[in-house]
Amino acid sequence: MPRNRTVRLAVLGSSVQRAAPSGFPSSRSSALKRRIVVGLLVLASLVLITVSFRSSALDGVQGTGATVLRPFEVAADRIARPFADTIGWFRGLVDAKNDNKKLRAQNEALRRQLILDEGAIHQNVELTKALNYKGPPSVAGFDKVRTSVVANPQGAIEENLVIDAGSSDGVRVGSVVVEPIGGPDGSGALIGTVDRVFSHEARVTLLTDSESAVTATDITNPQVIGSVQRGGGSSDVLVLDRVPKRPVVRIGDTIVTAGSLGAGPLKSKYPRGIPIGTVSSRSSTDADLFQNIQLKPLVDFSSIQSVIVLVPKAG
Amino acid sequence: MDVLKAALVLFVAALLQLSVLTEYRLFRTASIVLVALLSIALLRGSIFGAVAGFVTGLLLDTGTLGTLGITSLLLTLGGFWIGRYGETTARDRFHAPYVSVAVVTALYLFGQLMLQFMLGEPAPAGLVAHGVPGALLLNLILTLPVYALIRRLFPPLELGDRIREVRLLG
Repeated sequence: MPRNRTVRLAVLGSSVQRAAPSGFPSSRSSALKRRIVVGLLVLASLVLITVSFRSSALDGVQGTGATVLRPFEVAADRIARPFADTIGWFRGLVDAKNDNKKLRAQNEALRRQLILDEGAIHQNVELTKALNYKGPPSVAGFDKVRTSVVANPQGAIEENLVIDAGSSDGVRVGSVVVEPIGGPDGSGALIGTVDRVFSHEARVTLLTDSESAVTATDITNPQVIGSVQRGGGSSDVLVLDRVPKRPVVRIGDTIVTAGSLGAGPLKSKYPRGIPIGTVSSRSSTDADLFQNIQLKPLVDFSSIQSVIVLVPKAG
Repeated sequence: MDVLKAALVLFVAALLQLSVLTEYRLFRTASIVLVALLSIALLRGSIFGAVAGFVTGLLLDTGTLGTLGITSLLLTLGGFWIGRYGETTARDRFHAPYVSVAVVTALYLFGQLMLQFMLGEPAPAGLVAHGVPGALLLNLILTLPVYALIRRLFPPLELGDRIREVRLLG
């Protein structure tokens, strides 16, 4: 038996040549081919990263790609919706009894509050008219673009979502995005701001992103001014930072966007009065300069299905 | 035929991930695309895995309006590496898909973190470290049905083809 026998000969006892395999030949040429292919793909990825990150040259292509992909995403969502609704229905059933009791009590309290608020609103309108007062921009000063979410946040790092409205609908980089339930004027609670715009889609950076921050105030105590940003751990918690020890913030207070403070050149992109969350805990020690305030967001950032984008009024 | 099947499987997986699974916070760290890609790469080899990874990454980056190329780079390397693992040693072993998914899931998350950091974007390492156990668990759970399905769609290659994969010298 020659020394340079093949494994086929040893295993099968035959030296008959097989047809070229369709699988993974391991000859030197195929190893070279493999290296060339993976090298080219890695190089292409690096070029794409560089071009996409440093310029907007690929934005058109990406926007078109996203537009082509959109009907499929909507179709997938529609197909999955009945299953998601069923899961939601069962989940809701488990909590329904507790929620019912809690909501009845809340309803009573809100009814009483509404009567007081209606009086205050009426008085506010009268006084504003009488004094010819021009306040900071509010949600009422914007047009509202209602749209749906087409892609949710992916992975542990990303805190942004893709919405089904773009520059053709008046959406701009920096447009404020809110959730379409509750809140004054039926506008809802703050979600984040638009950071990339294409003709029919836009990307929204959520308030829970580590680079997001918004100047905020306590709705019942406007002297409290701070900056709302993501808490250290879970995105379920926001913190109201930079609030001095006086005046004290109470647990349960609602925190809203402060809007522009004064008439400086750096105007806030957030209109005043968009609800953000309620104070869930507060503490401070003698050594602290500021209060440690945690907020429970009014928005469940994990399940946003539709949003309202505030765009400047046409004309 | 394999190319068409892989394109269809990965496209459906990408749609599921973009619009359906990530609606639930629990599934945000899991990646059905990664599991499907690694399963295909394990059964069809390194070149197939690398190309499939590149195209799927491009699809995901387009769908999320993210920086093009980041996901492509990570999935290309993941697909290639697991493809090589399948070619050389592991294709018939029961634990191969689970080991592949576990290792690449962790590397994918940290690779993503590293790229974000290098691009000067927020890279919260603590958040990723906290997310790794959940992502590992969910991806391993997903591996069971996904790999079974993909093994049906991409039956293992013939014995003869496999024998030629290893060349003995001496």
